[in-house]
Amino acid sequence: MTDIQIQLDRVADDAHLLDVRDLFIEFHTRDGIAKVINGVSYHLDAGEALAVLGESGSGKSVTAQAIMGILDIPPGKIVSGQICYNGRDLLSLPEKERRQVRGKEIAMVFQDALSALNPVFPVGWQISETLRHREGVARADALRRAVELMELVRIPAAKQRLRDYPHEFSGGMRQRVMIAMSLALSPKILIADEPTTALDVTVQAQVMDLLAELRRELHMAMILITHDLGVVADVADRIAVMYAGRIVEHADVHDLYAVQGHPYTKGLIDSIPRLDHKGQELATIQGLPPSLMDIPRGCPFHPRCPYRKDPICSTQVPTDQRLASGTRTSRCHFAKEVLDGTAA
Amino acid sequence: MFRYIVRRLLQMALAFFGTTLLVYAMMFAAQGDPIQALAGEKPVSASQRAVLTERYHLDKTGIDGFLYRYWDYVSNLMRGDFGTTLAGRSISDVLQAAWPFTIKLALMAISFVIVFGITAGVIAGIRRGSLFDTTTLLLTLVVIGIPVFVLGYIGQYLLTNKWRLFKPTANDGSLYSLLLPALVLGMLALATALRLTRTSVAENLRSDYVRTAKSKGLPQRRVIGVHVLRNSLIPVVTYLGITIGDLMSGAIVTERIFNVPGIGFNVAKGIQTEDGPLVVGIISLLVIVYLTSNLIVDVLYAVLDPRIRYE
Repeated sequence: MTDIQIQLDRVADDAHLLDVRDLFIEFHTRDGIAKVINGVSYHLDAGEALAVLGESGSGKSVTAQAIMGILDIPPGKIVSGQICYNGRDLLSLPEKERRQVRGKEIAMVFQDALSALNPVFPVGWQISETLRHREGVARADALRRAVELMELVRIPAAKQRLRDYPHEFSGGMRQRVMIAMSLALSPKILIADEPTTALDVTVQAQVMDLLAELRRELHMAMILITHDLGVVADVADRIAVMYAGRIVEHADVHDLYAVQGHPYTKGLIDSIPRLDHKGQELATIQGLPPSLMDIPRGCPFHPRCPYRKDPICSTQVPTDQRLASGTRTSRCHFAKEVLDGTAA
Repeated sequence: MFRYIVRRLLQMALAFFGTTLLVYAMMFAAQGDPIQALAGEKPVSASQRAVLTERYHLDKTGIDGFLYRYWDYVSNLMRGDFGTTLAGRSISDVLQAAWPFTIKLALMAISFVIVFGITAGVIAGIRRGSLFDTTTLLLTLVVIGIPVFVLGYIGQYLLTNKWRLFKPTANDGSLYSLLLPALVLGMLALATALRLTRTSVAENLRSDYVRTAKSKGLPQRRVIGVHVLRNSLIPVVTYLGITIGDLMSGAIVTERIFNVPGIGFNVAKGIQTEDGPLVVGIISLLVIVYLTSNLIVDVLYAVLDPRIRYE
């Protein structure tokens, strides 16, 4: 490879707004070491929306917490890897500079707004706090801005509700407060960690729509963490499927829905109940997710995989297989066969 | 809230009558002959006995007589007349002389609790499992395990007899002389407040809203100093409120050890000399202090935690 090519590669890499490279994270617990993240890489460009999909314990939230720098260390430990924002590795920044990134460049919306908001302060206070203490905005101005933010996330009678406490809001409105708070400093990236899990189904759709609209209006990039395939399609551009701390498949949303390149993703899509399969038994993925203290040798999915072929699947860890279209990858020894439907 | 306070005040009236009745009954049930007790060792002539019997309504006997005398006492109390001690001294005067000692002592003790107990509790809560945390855990357990009179006498022996830092008695009422008694008095509350603060801080540090505050990019001192502390101190403030009521009344042992002529000292003296009017008078007042401080704590609780609503 020539020097020019290397330079070009570097420029191309640096062009990503956010670039997570080869991240390894462990949790040291009394029972042993849990390998929570095992080589996760993904990137995000300005204005783009990436969905990170996976079951509980697949490591999707831990990755997000590592990006935000709010991982509890200890017991957590970032073993290796890089998280580059605008070409700067966040993991090597001193805490003082790291703090400046939080909220201002990358903001986060949490799952359960009732516990994620401070119960003893009015919502207006909590939204304006960021402005007052990060930007030095005067109290009255910050409160006025808080009303604007609450109107932006479509909270009715925002001005009257400024002095209300989180417990006085409904679930959906509370999540809107949470979103308004995260938008206070106009972040470039919004990480939404299962933003609708704690909500009713009808309210879920409203909050997802709101997030999609806000992303377009404010030209934000977004990472949407979810275990719900249903909410992803309308919001995300690309999708990364996680299993046992790895990204097993990565593709454009519509490509992934059409045809899957990894047996796990295929299992997930097949297990969505379908109207035209009325009366039939629901498809499931056999077995349970692996314990992170003791991840199976070889492909971590092999004990549950209907396509497994021994000995290769139980001994060799699959690497990323590049599949037909552009950036599509799958970590399966038989990715192409699964994608073509020729695997047995 | 207003209706709640009114209801609580009515409950207080009920509790007041109940406790005074009980204390009154116990105090006079223990006595054999109140007139002889009044006279002490001296003989009482028949005419004196007749006069005293009439003055104290002792001619009425049985439960009627007891209730009559109780009502007589309480209605005097309502008018602010505490009566006189057996020695003939006005109980109001006794209280007026004793209160300043007890209030000073209680306030100093509570200051120790706030300054040392809460500060150390916050530090221990933040640095869970550190040397500081384990050391304070050990010390507080020791303090909680030792009765006040042991702590008091050891403190008195070491600091006044052995090292002569303080005078052994504190009857001049100066702040310096009250320093040691206040420390002994506040020690148990200090240890309890420390444990409470530590647990509360440690628990709140792990809560979701702290993670949110961090993700807003707030500096650590604001996350802890505002978000964690404001939530952690709710149970501590409640405890402190009740403790103030306790300290105002519960200094009997400490005041005896250090000869502080406060309320507790007088109660102890009254019990020893079987001075019924004095004991009942003081206890009645303490009941009011205790009930009021409890009411204030409950109202304060609603102010501190907006999720609490009284209806």
